Amino acid sequence: MKSGLSIIIAREYLERVKRKSFIISTLLVPLLMIALMFAPALIMLFSESESKVVAVLDDSGVVAPRLHSNDEIRFVVVGDENIDQARANDGYDAILVVESAAVEKPQESVTLYSHGSLTMVTDQYISSQVSDAIEDVRLKAYNIENLDKILREVEVDLSMPVIDIDKAEDTATSSVLSYILALVMDMMLYMFILIYGQMVMTSIIEEKTNRVLELVVSSVKPQWLMLGKITGVGLVAITQILIWAGIVGICSVFTMPMFAAMPEAASEPAIAGAIAQLTDVGFMVSLVVYMLLFFIGGYLFYSAIFAAIGSAVDNIQDASQLTSIATMPVIIGIVASMAVINNPTSSMAFWLSIIPFTSPMTMMSRLPFGVPVWETVLSLVVLYISFILLLWVCAKIYRVGIFMYGKKPTLIEIIRWARYK
Amino acid sequence: MEYILTAENITKDFTNHRALDDVSIAVPRGKVYGLLGPNGAGKTTLIRIINHITAPDSGIVTFDGHQLCADDVMNIGYLPEERGLYKKMKVGEQALFFARLKGLDRKQAEAALKQWFERLEISEWWNKKVEELSKGMAQKVQFIVTVLHKPKLLIFDEPFSGFDPINAGILKREILKLRDEGATVIFSTHNMASVEELCDEISLINRSHNILSGSVREIRERFSSNRYEIGFVGAPDALATTGFDVELGSINNDGFATATVTLPSADAVRPFLAAANQAVDINSFRRILPSMDDIFISAVQASNQSSQLES
Repeated sequence: MKSGLSIIIAREYLERVKRKSFIISTLLVPLLMIALMFAPALIMLFSESESKVVAVLDDSGVVAPRLHSNDEIRFVVVGDENIDQARANDGYDAILVVESAAVEKPQESVTLYSHGSLTMVTDQYISSQVSDAIEDVRLKAYNIENLDKILREVEVDLSMPVIDIDKAEDTATSSVLSYILALVMDMMLYMFILIYGQMVMTSIIEEKTNRVLELVVSSVKPQWLMLGKITGVGLVAITQILIWAGIVGICSVFTMPMFAAMPEAASEPAIAGAIAQLTDVGFMVSLVVYMLLFFIGGYLFYSAIFAAIGSAVDNIQDASQLTSIATMPVIIGIVASMAVINNPTSSMAFWLSIIPFTSPMTMMSRLPFGVPVWETVLSLVVLYISFILLLWVCAKIYRVGIFMYGKKPTLIEIIRWARYK
Repeated sequence: MEYILTAENITKDFTNHRALDDVSIAVPRGKVYGLLGPNGAGKTTLIRIINHITAPDSGIVTFDGHQLCADDVMNIGYLPEERGLYKKMKVGEQALFFARLKGLDRKQAEAALKQWFERLEISEWWNKKVEELSKGMAQKVQFIVTVLHKPKLLIFDEPFSGFDPINAGILKREILKLRDEGATVIFSTHNMASVEELCDEISLINRSHNILSGSVREIRERFSSNRYEIGFVGAPDALATTGFDVELGSINNDGFATATVTLPSADAVRPFLAAANQAVDINSFRRILPSMDDIFISAVQASNQSSQLES
């Protein structure tokens, strides 16, 4: 009987890993992500020549000299053209008209004309340049000595390192990195529970409609078949994650030294904190292990539910209502964990990470910020024990459900099946 | 007689109905046992209990001398009525999968499969995907998977549905061969002609009850209502003068005729023959045994009527 389980797992696993769609999606997704990361840089590289020319008609005489061009926007002061002439000139993408009263009443005396609508970035850049210029003029009007020096000294550029008090050594945890990590892992978990959980479900429905099920359960207990399927599909998910992690790892081996070599980047506190956190091996290892445990726990918990649903219905259409009930807690967990990210130590965060329906999602978003060990362990224990209980109930439903054809069962009927001998 | 499988007082309830009510059967070793009954009578539930797929609410199943346990499925081969295969898998790979589930190791399974594939002349399908096969072809693969591990007990639920007469014949031959090699076969079907042809014993399940059990021969005797066919030469009306309930059959041009006679009891055979001998020249005389079809219908109707009377 035990060997039956391993044969089932092997079949479920190999069947999926050998599929073209799996190979393609596993390799394509990281490529797509890399492409997305590099796309802005590439676009910038190729769109350099596309800078916009803004003609400036300045009657005040003080604004135009204070405007600074950048890569995208080039200010051209024109003194010898009036508005109509400038409008007729195709060389200008936009015309900035500054009337003489601009310093006193900027609201009424500055207008921007453009061919077609400008992008928001361009629009914002021009308006900030003009307001900076007017501010500058107004400040100068007070005739304060050493104004530039004072302003430079007053300016604050803050990005503070956050030290975790609960940890023995004062390592800086980067809140930016934690935030990103929490967000990414939450989304990954959400994706994997839905994709792989529903894969378990559809494959059970398929076996039912194929009528291959009865042939299989005449040699293997239905419970083992269900467990084998959940495990096999789960291993596929882990394979995919490991491949992705490998690709990301290889990429970062190449990119990390580049970051470290950039002096100005390393001096930036946020990035320095991130690098410090990434290179804190002990913290990262425990983080990865915990996350993996919650990932697996969350998948197992929900795939047991999906398996029970799959066994109860004949086709995917009938399943939709039940799956929407099952995915509700996943979504609640995701939404709640967004709130938890902003306040990882609140009592709501604590309870959400004990309840097994939401704990994987909540803990994903809390772990990067550091969670007391006892809390993590408690959450894991509750999650895995409730998985085993749920598996037991779902296996009973499954055992009955796989032989039910025809009428779509109600939720109450399904729960009643769990009590059959 | 030695029984390989007995089920005693099996009862199984589902939410809205009782699928089996105090059903008992005993399957003799080395025989073909027919499990008959109308649709929804409870046959499949009983078969699932025998296969340890579901458990009865009460009652005991013994297999090969001990109470049925999970490991016994290794000695049972079951071909369900509703059967399919994994569509995307290759035929050989799939057959190996099922064989290994039944406890064969890869090498054994491969050797045995190759042999069976040759025996049924389907060797060239090994690397085909199941979705490329016709229904009948897939059925052959399923049949092989069912019998491959040389089980002591084989259970076939409607094995011939989907087969053309030639392949159905091949299958029948193989089933009988397996029986001759020592396997016991439980055979569930609606096809009464094949029951007469294959089965040694039967049980008829109707509305969750076992309403009729016994050997096919004995049951047919029991249901024959003392009807006989007589072949004779002579005046067709002459038999009517014997005073028995005679119904004339065909009369040939050359004077050969047949008639059916219903006698009040088996004891009336001698007096009837004596009387008939006076009237005509008797060519042949034989007892008419009812077909399993007739028995099936009359037994089911009788049981339905009696259960209606009860309620």
